[in-house]
Amino acid sequence: MRYFTVRFLQMLFAVWAVATLVFLFLQLTGDPMELLAPEDMTEAQVEELRKAYGLDKPIHVQYLIYMKNLLRGDLGVSWTSGEPALALLAQRFPATLKLVLVALGIAIFFGLPAGVWAAVRADSLVDRALRFLSVVGISAPTFWIGIMLILIFSVTLGWLPSAGAHSWKHYILPGVTLSFYRIALFLRMIRSTMLDVLSQDYVRTARAKGLPERVVVYKHALRNALIPFVTLVGLQFGHLMAGAVVTEWIFAWPGMNRLALNALFTEDRPVILAFVVLTAVIFAAVNFVVDVLYGLIDPRVRYA
Amino acid sequence: MRRLLVALLSLLALGYAEKTFVVAYQGGAVTLDPHMRNETTTLAWQHHIFETPFFYNPEGKVVPVLAEKIEQIDENTWKLYLKKGVKFHDGTEMTAEDVAFSILRAATHKKSQMKGYVGKVSDAKALDRYTVLIKTKVPDPLLPAHLDHAAVIPKAYLEKVGEEGFNKHPIGTGPYKFVSWLNGDHLNLEAFEDYWGKKPDFKKVKLVNIPNGATRVAALLSGEVDIAEKVLPQDFARVERSGVATVKQTPGVRVIYIALDYWREYGSEGLPEGAKNPFLDPRARKAIYMAIDADAIVKKIMGGAATVAQQFLAPIHEGYNPEIKRFPYDPKAARKLLEDLGYGDTDGDGWLELPTKDGGRVPFKLRIDAPNDRYLNDAQIAQALANMLRKIGIQAEVNAVPKKVFFPNMTKGHFTMYMAGWGSMDSINTALSLFHSKDESGLYGRFNRMRYKNPEVDRLIEEAAKTFDKAKREELLRKAMYIAMVEDVAYIPLHYENVIAGVRKGVRFTPRPDEYLHAFEAEKE
Repeated sequence: MRYFTVRFLQMLFAVWAVATLVFLFLQLTGDPMELLAPEDMTEAQVEELRKAYGLDKPIHVQYLIYMKNLLRGDLGVSWTSGEPALALLAQRFPATLKLVLVALGIAIFFGLPAGVWAAVRADSLVDRALRFLSVVGISAPTFWIGIMLILIFSVTLGWLPSAGAHSWKHYILPGVTLSFYRIALFLRMIRSTMLDVLSQDYVRTARAKGLPERVVVYKHALRNALIPFVTLVGLQFGHLMAGAVVTEWIFAWPGMNRLALNALFTEDRPVILAFVVLTAVIFAAVNFVVDVLYGLIDPRVRYA
Repeated sequence: MRRLLVALLSLLALGYAEKTFVVAYQGGAVTLDPHMRNETTTLAWQHHIFETPFFYNPEGKVVPVLAEKIEQIDENTWKLYLKKGVKFHDGTEMTAEDVAFSILRAATHKKSQMKGYVGKVSDAKALDRYTVLIKTKVPDPLLPAHLDHAAVIPKAYLEKVGEEGFNKHPIGTGPYKFVSWLNGDHLNLEAFEDYWGKKPDFKKVKLVNIPNGATRVAALLSGEVDIAEKVLPQDFARVERSGVATVKQTPGVRVIYIALDYWREYGSEGLPEGAKNPFLDPRARKAIYMAIDADAIVKKIMGGAATVAQQFLAPIHEGYNPEIKRFPYDPKAARKLLEDLGYGDTDGDGWLELPTKDGGRVPFKLRIDAPNDRYLNDAQIAQALANMLRKIGIQAEVNAVPKKVFFPNMTKGHFTMYMAGWGSMDSINTALSLFHSKDESGLYGRFNRMRYKNPEVDRLIEEAAKTFDKAKREELLRKAMYIAMVEDVAYIPLHYENVIAGVRKGVRFTPRPDEYLHAFEAEKE
C-alpha cells in the first residue's frame, strides 16, 4: 500500500514538473497574440482579445491561475476553438490508442517470433538476413515509409485507403508504417536477450534433463527473456501515444498527436499544455503497469 | 420476384445517388461558431452552414446574399433590407431580430475575431420583421462588404441552447445543414431541403482535413475524395496523367512582394555593419526591382502555379490601376543604376560596394529575410532572388526561417529586405495597412513595417477611406497606387499565388480567388 502511495505522489510531482516546465518554455516563444489575433484587427481590438483570454495579466498570475485550475482537473479552454482542451483531446484519444495498439500488435506478432527464430539459429543465413532487414527497418524514416505505402497500395494498386479512420481498412497502412521500426527493434532485442538466456546454466540443465527443445526455448528461456521485452513494449506504447505525429499527419489520422501539432502551429497553448500533461500521466501509468507485469512474469519480483 | 428486383435496383440507384461528395482541405475548421475564428479554412467550412448579408462573388464583386439591398441614411447610419422567406435549418424564419443580433455579436462579443470587419458597428436593431438599422461609430463606406464576416445565426436557438450547445449543433440558413463533425478533422453535411437559393448538386457532403499534400493527391487519385485543394505543383503532371482528375487554377488575391528599408540611413540589420542603406532612394529600389525576373520565378519555381504580378493589387481588386505595369527585367540597367548612384565597384573584384559612415567602402552584402513555411515555395523563391541579385553584383544571402520567428522580427522592423505575402479582398484595408505611413494610434500603416511614407499618398488613401461614391473611391485609390508603385517603388510585387484544386472527372468546379473552397459551388457534369 505504501508503495502505491509513493508511486502516486511521484506521479503527481512528475506531472507538476512537466506542466511547469512547458508553461515556462511556452512563454519564451513570444507573444501568442501574434498568431492568435487575425491580421486585420486594430491594435485596440487585439488588446480586447488579449484581455478576453486573460493574457493581459502578469505571467506569475497566469501561472497561478493555471495551476489552480489544473488541481481541479481543468486543463483550460482552447484559444482557437473555444472548446475545453481536455474534451478536444479526449475525443481524439481513442483513435490514437487504437492505432498504437494495432501497430504494437503487428510489431509483436512479427518481431517476437522472428527474434526467437534468429536467436535459435544464431549466425545462420536466416539470422543474418533478419538482422540486415532490421537495420533497414530501424533506419528507414517514417515519413518515407508512409508515402511509399500510400503510393503503392492506395494510388497504384488501389487496395487500401490513404486518409482518415473510417473502417478497419484505414488502420492497415498507418499501423504498418508505425510498426516497421518496432518490428526491427523487438527482433533485435529478443534476439540478444534470448542468446544471453540460452547460454545460461539452467537452460543447459533443462536440456540435460532431456526436455524437448521446444519446451526449453519457449517455456524456460523465452519467459526470462520477456522481462526486459515487456519494459520495452511499455516504453514504446508511451512513445507512440505521444509520438505518432508524423504518421498521424501523413495519414490524416484523427488522433491527438495531430491535434497537438496543430496547436503548436497555431500557438494554442492550452491544448499544447493539456497534451503534455496527458502524456505525462500516460507515461506514469504505463510505467506502473509494467512494474505490475514484472511481478506476474517473474515471481522473484516482489514489492515489500 | 421481379418486383423485388426492381425494388433492389432502385435501392441501389438511390444508394448511388446518395454517394457522399468529399472535399479535402489542407486544414480543418476549429470551431463552428461563425464569429470566433477568422481563418480561411474555418470560414470556408462554416460557409456551408451559415450565410452573411453580403458576400463576394467569384469575380470579386460584393453581392447581396441574405440582404435584398442596403440603403445609406447618413454617414453613420444604414438601412439593411432582408430577403423574405429565408429559413433556418430548424424551420424557423430568419428575421431582422436574428440579423441585428448576429451583426452585434460579431461586432462586440469579447472573443469575436470579426472586429476587423464589423468592429465599427455601434448598434444594430430591427425596425420591422425584415429591416435592420445599423449605426457605426465612424463612417465606413465599405460596410456592405464588411458584412461578409457577419454570419447570421438564429437568436432564439442560441439563447435556448447556449454557446456550448450551439457549437455541438450549429444552425444557420446555408445550403447545407450540420450532421456531425470532429473538430479540426471532418464535417458531415446534408443538403437543406428548404434552402432559399439554388439547391446544391450533391446531397451528402463531407469536408475532411488531409494536411499532407502527397496524401491529398493520393486520396484524389484513388477516388476517396472528389476535390482536393492545394495540389502541389510537383504533382500537377501526375494528376493530369491519371485520367481520373484534373488541376484547376485561378489567380488568387495573395500577392508575394518584397519590401525594402525606407527609414534608416545607417544601422539597417541586413547590411554590413556601418554601411549606408541605399534604399532610401527610389532609384535604388527600382534597381532591385529591375534585377528580378518574376517570369522565371513563376515558371521555374512555382511550376506555373502563380501569375506574374504587375502591381500590388490584383485585377479583381477595387482600385486596380491598369496603367501600372512591371518595370522591365533588365539586370544590366539595374547594375548601371546602382553604379550611377555611387555604389559601383572600385576595387575591381566585380562586386558593388556601399560607402560607410567613416568614409570607407565595404562590399554590397545584403541579407534577404523570408519565411520558409508560410507561402508556396517561399524559401526557394528567396534563394532565386539572391541569385538574381548576385548577378548584378550584390552579395545577397538568404535567411529563411519558420514563420513563428519571421513575423515577430518583421513586426519589429529587424530587416533590410524581406519577402512576404499579403492577401485581402478589401483594397482600402490594404492601402491603410501597407501604403499609409505608420502612426502611433495604430489605425494607419499597421503592416507598413519598412515605414514607406509619402504625404500625398496618405492624403489620397484617407480621402478614399471615407468616400462613399465607389467610382470616386476607385479613382483616389488608383492615383495613390500609381504614386506608390511607379514613382516611389514602395514595394516590389512578384506574383499572385494561384488558388489550386484537383477536381475529379465528372465534377465541374473552379476555385475562387479568395481561397474559400465551397462544395456547394461544385456541380455535376
